[in-house]
Order: sequence, then C-alpha cells, then structure tokens
Amino acid sequence: MATYREASLPTGKFVDPTPAPAHSAHPEVGATSAPLKSASFFIGAYCKDYNEDFMLCKDENSNPAHCLKEGRKVTRCAMDLITKLRENCEKEWEAHYKCLEKHNQEYYACRKPERTLNECVFSKLKLEKVIPGASNTPIHLRENTIYN
Amino acid sequence: MPVPFEALIPLGLITGFFGASGILFNKLKTSINEGQPPRYGLDRWDRVMLDRDYRLTGTQRGQSHQTSAPDGFSTNSAWTLESEHI
Repeated sequence: MATYREASLPTGKFVDPTPAPAHSAHPEVGATSAPLKSASFFIGAYCKDYNEDFMLCKDENSNPAHCLKEGRKVTRCAMDLITKLRENCEKEWEAHYKCLEKHNQEYYACRKPERTLNECVFSKLKLEKVIPGASNTPIHLRENTIYN
Repeated sequence: MPVPFEALIPLGLITGFFGASGILFNKLKTSINEGQPPRYGLDRWDRVMLDRDYRLTGTQRGQSHQTSAPDGFSTNSAWTLESEHI
C-alpha cells in the first residue's frame, strides 16, 4: 500500500457511489477552520485529557480503526466547548475569527479582538491561553508589538 | 515659461492604465475570495482544512461556527483523481 500523496495535475473528483447511510455517522464538529484556529488554545486547555489520550493511543498504533473511541471523545469534547463558546462569547469569537479570515489566518494581525476574546473566555469559562515553552512574556500578552 | 501640459498627458495615461489594471485585479481577487484577500503560503494542512471548509459550508471561503456538522458532511468527501503519468 503506497503512502498517500496529493494529486498532481488533478483531473477530477471521485465520490463514493455507495456511501454509508447517514444515520450511522457519528456527530462531527461543525466549525470551520477560522473559528477552530481562534479557539485552538481554549480547546487545548479544555480537552487536554482527551487529546493526550488520543495522541498516546495513536502512538501505539497508527491504524485509524484502533483509536476510533478516543477520537469520538475528542470530537465530543470539542463540540461541548464550541457550544459553551456560542452561549457565552459568541460576538468576541466571531470578531476574532472574521479578523483572522481577512489576514491569512495569522495570529499577529489580530491581537486586539484576541485580547477581548481572551478576557471574555477567562471571565466566563475560566480558560486561559497558554503558549507552552514561552521564555519571556508570551507574545499575546506583550504591550508594544509591531503589528496590532 | 508655462508648464508643458502636453507632456503630462502620456504620464496621466500610463498612471491611469496601471491604476485601472491594479484595481481590476484587486476586485477580481476579492470577488473570488468572497470579499477577503486571498490565502497564501498554504501547506498541506491548510489545503486539507480549506477542503473541509468547502465540504462544511458549500462555498470556498465561507466560515461557520456551528457545533455539529450538517447531515451530508459524513458522506461528501472525495478523492482527487489524476491521470496516469507515463
């Protein structure tokens, strides 16, 4: 079995003609890339145990069938946090991820909406953004940066 | 000696054409990307996430912060085909 590589000079798409029935599918996270990137550090803080469980399970055996249960737990935890964010900090979250979408999803360009989001999440959900391995003041807490 | 305004006409023309093509190109890029600047420096992760966004929302750059995915999401993934390279 060859390793997967992206198609060079693609000619079309192959959609499975006999897909599995929709009722047998497990729930999947409905957030797209920008909201997920915006909430990534909070997902990391909130779902730390399940994520670590999944990574350790994958370390044992990289076969997708081996870690389905841990994967479902990770999905469920992320969906739980997304529900909480929608209830409490939806406006700040939306402002931050819309800003990210305008700037190639780079964090440096969107520090102001990020600050309001971090304050809202810390006050309502008690989650903090921590950059592991940051030596001096972490970049998201610095006052004078080039880009704001 | 008055300013030779005839010399400024080709200058104005050149500036105008540069400007017009620049504005047109900018509008083209933003219209493709739904009013946003285009994404650049994409690696495989970003390409896979962009494909997932398209499967979730149905548009190229649409974003949504729903909790759970719509019903067709589990079965609308597709393999990209390539022709045989000899």
